[in-house]
Amino acid sequence: MATNTALARERRFIQILAVVLAALVMAPFLWLLQMSFKTNAQVFQFPPPLIFTPTLENYEALWTSGFRQSFVNSLVVAGAATIAPMLLGVPAAYALSRWQARIAGTFSLWILVSRMAPPIAFTIPYFLAYRHLELLDTRTGLVIIYMTFNLSLVIWMMRPFFDQLPRALEEAAWIDGATTAQGFFRIILPLSAPGLAATAILCFLFAWNDFFFALILTRTEAMTAPVAVVNFMNYEGWEWGRIAAGGTMVMLPVLLFSLLVRKYLVHGLTGGAVKG
Amino acid sequence: MARGGATRARDRFYALCVAPSLAVLAVITLAPAIYLLVTSFTPLDLTRPETAWNFARPFENYRQMPADSRLMNSLWVQAKLSFWTVTLQLLIGFGFALLLNMRSRFLEALRTVFLIPMVLPPIVVAIIWKVLYTPDISPLHWGTTLLGFTVPALITHPDWALTAIIIADTWQWFPFTMLMTLAALQMMPQEMVDAAKVDGASAWQMTWHVTLPFLKGVLLVAGLFRLIDSIKAFPLIFILTEGGPGSVTEVTNYYSFLQAFNFSFLGYSSAITVVMLAATVLMSWAIIRLVGWGQHGD
Repeated sequence: MATNTALARERRFIQILAVVLAALVMAPFLWLLQMSFKTNAQVFQFPPPLIFTPTLENYEALWTSGFRQSFVNSLVVAGAATIAPMLLGVPAAYALSRWQARIAGTFSLWILVSRMAPPIAFTIPYFLAYRHLELLDTRTGLVIIYMTFNLSLVIWMMRPFFDQLPRALEEAAWIDGATTAQGFFRIILPLSAPGLAATAILCFLFAWNDFFFALILTRTEAMTAPVAVVNFMNYEGWEWGRIAAGGTMVMLPVLLFSLLVRKYLVHGLTGGAVKG
Repeated sequence: MARGGATRARDRFYALCVAPSLAVLAVITLAPAIYLLVTSFTPLDLTRPETAWNFARPFENYRQMPADSRLMNSLWVQAKLSFWTVTLQLLIGFGFALLLNMRSRFLEALRTVFLIPMVLPPIVVAIIWKVLYTPDISPLHWGTTLLGFTVPALITHPDWALTAIIIADTWQWFPFTMLMTLAALQMMPQEMVDAAKVDGASAWQMTWHVTLPFLKGVLLVAGLFRLIDSIKAFPLIFILTEGGPGSVTEVTNYYSFLQAFNFSFLGYSSAITVVMLAATVLMSWAIIRLVGWGQHGD
């Protein structure tokens, strides 16, 4: 009995400690969130008012400015940079999972490097090429460069998913006279729906979160939301309330989506090096 | 013979599946990489068009690099940043993982909270810390003043700017090492734990002699991933310090960015980037060797 109560006490202690640490980790993020609902005068007020009437004026000011266009740009670009790599990459991942060919092994370094390469390595050649192709400051240009990492992401996220599905599934279908393509589309794809959803969401997040490529390859027309927020900081003075509101709007879709794919996050970030 | 035909049809289908991705990847990643390499052999300066495709002295950029003291400084800054962020993230991630690795619904729910810094857009992380490091509006500065300390504005102070970046980066990325460690901890065989308990191991001995050796591989891979990522650190530095004050937070990636897009020396910047890319390839290769990724049936 004595050890049991000691154990329970230890358990409670760990839980309390965990809550305190979680609060500490969350605090910087919550601070930005509450700032976005304050007037500029309140932002500078210390000690900070514990109770204040939240204002939406920062969001309203933002929405009537050029920020709205940038937000739409972000949505469109991230959406396209999700769909295109999925269409190309999912069949490739399946073939690499099933095909007994040498090509699969040599492929992995290439894919990992295009995911891990410093963005500037792609930015310089793309910047030079886009000047001639007239793709600077276009959404198309951004979608193409986002494919460099998202297509790799799709292939390395989906391959382990397909690896887990037993081959017997398709083999049974083949014996019944189905072609390889039918086996893939009718049997395998429906079974991998959770993996497909998780992969698509991660693609969207990586494209949405990008800052560097958009900073260099866009000016005004195709500017994305993260760049717009930063421009706002640099050119319109320190309107902290509005900066906080912009930041909140950029992180909102990300938070919602990433909670959905929590289970697959590590997997997506490490290319299946660890099965989380 | 019929069987052979079916296999051939299957191979054809597989080839058809892989070919488009392969072609697109070649065009969008391999071609630019080659273009980058070629550019690094020219003195390309966007303000002087005649410098494009000028291969008179192909290795001039590379020859200049060792003599460029600002570049050498950036490598040193990079080394400090990488060392401290990777070390701190491994330590804190490992510690938190041990703490949260308990069978408890409550703790499992709480884990989600710890993920937030990692999934936030990098630019938002940078804004959060810009706020915390700006004395006029920072609750941190207000708090320390209440306690009777006056803390200088960290990001504009030469002695503290890099530390400020390290703190922000650690906050953003310790969840990554934590998640990887947790995932591995959950695969730790219960017999191992039980056997150690029967032998009367204390909690400390358990961590040191059982858990840590078991996690060695995962921690190494997590560290490598963070190391590669630390080379790319950009938004935090761009927003918080712009490489300054002076050049105390100017990492190689940032210096390369300045050379290319502020000074328009794209040739020289390409050469620096080629070196960074080579380092990335080397470390990625190490990861693949470590996890055996890419082989069938792993």
